[in-house]
Amino acid sequence: MEFESQNDLERDDFERELQQAFLRRPAPPSLKRKLMQQRSRQRTERLHLRKVVWERLAACLVLAALVGGGFQWHQREERRKGEAARQQVFTALRITNRALNQVRAQLAERDRDRQE
Amino acid sequence: MARDWQPDFEQLVDEHQSMVFSLALRMTGDRGLAEEIAQDVFLELDRHLGKIESPLHALHWLRRVAMSRSADALRRRKVRGMDLWVEMQDGYGANVEQRSSPLGSRLESLLTTLPEPQRAALVLRYQEDLTPEEIAATLEAPLATVKSNLQRGLKLLRAKAESNLKDFIRVPTPELRSS
Repeated sequence: MEFESQNDLERDDFERELQQAFLRRPAPPSLKRKLMQQRSRQRTERLHLRKVVWERLAACLVLAALVGGGFQWHQREERRKGEAARQQVFTALRITNRALNQVRAQLAERDRDRQE
Repeated sequence: MARDWQPDFEQLVDEHQSMVFSLALRMTGDRGLAEEIAQDVFLELDRHLGKIESPLHALHWLRRVAMSRSADALRRRKVRGMDLWVEMQDGYGANVEQRSSPLGSRLESLLTTLPEPQRAALVLRYQEDLTPEEIAATLEAPLATVKSNLQRGLKLLRAKAESNLKDFIRVPTPELRSS
């Protein structure tokens, strides 16, 4: 690296002094203790948060399942009711048809009696 | 791909707390703030531990994040209008444990008067013994900018030392250390 300097010897001395002055300082003894405490607290909070998230997710899933199941049950019930109504209509039509046939047969018999 | 090395958070703290704390201290000049920054840096390391691939990666990651967090702290302080360097010059001397020499301690104080980019480059150069290329990678800055900051910072520091430390600067280093 090239730095502007008056002469090499001075530059070396000065930079050497800088290196001496900038030696790493020992961290405060409390740093690690505080750090580990904070880490443990944050981990507990993270675990709690994760638990809450999972609980909420599970509650949402249960709710969604209930709503979905209810909706399906409602649809199935509607279909069943529709089918029952259709069967009733068919039965009514069959009865009506039979009654009409009987009336038609009676009328035909009466017409025949009159002609004789 | 399986990794041979598994990061051990506590071991990483033991190994690098001095480096992270010293970088933060020299960048901010405030012991309390430096301690806070060091804690933040290691807590962030804890969150990213799964992405750390080797001891060297951990070292580079810690250096980069320590410098970045220190710069953020300085910017926040600047926004709030606080003068860190007054605090450093007033209170720093009382707390300093291991001074190398009287000249060293004064040089360290003078460092605090340099602009932030120059201070960052000089701290990484002389505390961490990094090359300009490594400093550029750590600070995520262009190499030319780093070289210029190193050059200007050193020139400025030398000029300040010559005007403020006349008693020390011309004295040969070995005599200084013995005194």
